[in-house]
Amino acid sequence: MGAHQRVALTGMGVVTSIGHNLSAFASGLRHGACGISFLRRIPASGISVKIGAEIHDFDWQQGLEAVPSADTDFLRRSKKILNRAPESTRLSACAAAQALAQSGLRHARLAEERIGLIVAGSNLHQRYIHENSARFRQEPEYINPSYALSFLDTSQVGCLSEMFALHGMGYTVGGASASGNAALYHGWQWIRAGLLDACVVVGASPDFSALELQAFSILGAACGEPYHTLPHQACRPFDRNRAGFVLGEGSGCVVLENLDLARQRGAELWGELKGGSLLLDGNSLANPVLGGEIKAIRRALEEAGAQPADIGYINAHGSSSSLGDQVECEALAAVFGDGAGGIPVNSTKSLIGHCIFAAGILEFIACAIQLKEGFLHPNLNLESPLDDRFNFAGSTASPLQAGLALSNGFGFGGFNSSLVFGKV
Amino acid sequence: MTRDAIFAVVKDNILKVLPEVCPAAISLEKSLVELGANSVDRVEVAMYSMEALKLKIPRIELHGVRNLADLVDLFHAHLRGE
Repeated sequence: MGAHQRVALTGMGVVTSIGHNLSAFASGLRHGACGISFLRRIPASGISVKIGAEIHDFDWQQGLEAVPSADTDFLRRSKKILNRAPESTRLSACAAAQALAQSGLRHARLAEERIGLIVAGSNLHQRYIHENSARFRQEPEYINPSYALSFLDTSQVGCLSEMFALHGMGYTVGGASASGNAALYHGWQWIRAGLLDACVVVGASPDFSALELQAFSILGAACGEPYHTLPHQACRPFDRNRAGFVLGEGSGCVVLENLDLARQRGAELWGELKGGSLLLDGNSLANPVLGGEIKAIRRALEEAGAQPADIGYINAHGSSSSLGDQVECEALAAVFGDGAGGIPVNSTKSLIGHCIFAAGILEFIACAIQLKEGFLHPNLNLESPLDDRFNFAGSTASPLQAGLALSNGFGFGGFNSSLVFGKV
Repeated sequence: MTRDAIFAVVKDNILKVLPEVCPAAISLEKSLVELGANSVDRVEVAMYSMEALKLKIPRIELHGVRNLADLVDLFHAHLRGE
């Protein structure tokens, strides 16, 4: 081994509010589809949050059946495994099935213990837990016994590893809203160090109950009253009239692979994860810290061997939060200086809401799609930019010529993470 | 409640937990393992049946159960207050 291994992206899968598979998601990005509407699945009566980007009209069984490589035996086993699983696990499974099918990884002659699995996120099954709590309060004797397995975040790792026969290293990686980036960075490190040949990295869809949403609202983080009746206008990253993040449901999965091995087997390479970072602020609270974000962006560039001037596109964390967007602008200005104005910037959250644990994965996928297809997706509702030093995307898609992208992910509790992704 | 009625409740719950099982294959001498139940399936069948029968039985008593006949007998005994 010795030298560092390069890490390629060979497969992607998604289930989001604007598309239940990769091509629908790509089309949604290009057309600036907005998945935000009035909440239907999360019971919102009695709480201050009324809108979100929920996944509607999606059946997980049909989602699995639609995957090209899904044969009868796989479907039978998967349905048995997922039948009692919480919703977030089912969405992860559908995204993973798509990504693995696209990668063609099962045709790679890799030892099974050389393929790893990371599920991004923690506290993945909050609504499931709340529903079971209600049953417990009614009659402790008759709770669902499978709760003992399914309330654990790691049950997602167990379900997916059984479904896809993944026997290498695996666990969950939690970093609040930076979980997706943290997991990708971690998978990258494993392959780069030669510990694995491939790694399936899944961003789990947040399954929040009304309790979590209300807490975010009271804290002042979630978008509230001004946009209660205007769901399509609610998520407005970098706009002066932004009013907090809008929750999105969504799962994304990527297959990262040793670039040389992937090339040898003739896999389609969507790009290369060139570097990343994960740094803590030493801050237990929700507020972003400018110095921490700057360090994370600089560290990622350094690990990728890139200069700020090499970056041709920035997928911002851009959660539409009041302080968060402002601090991210300051961090980007500090790193990119006068060059900032020449780099296109957008936030995928304006289309699919903030998918929390999956956000980093879905935004990484959005980077790959935009670089490959040569377009910059719109940044919805950016009517009055808070900062005029940047080249923010407009309300429609535009051509993008970029070889290297930066994707930011920041989380409550002082998690700062950036990824550098580029063409091979 | 008769043993037959209790067996009907158990059978319903086996089909709920294991929808792929053929109803005709469920007979008293069979064990849940023979019907393809894994460790969680077995606890679910027992618990859903106890809930339907409004029974609360110490879990330790389920450990001696070898087949569906034993399970039905156990439920029958508890329903009779033994």
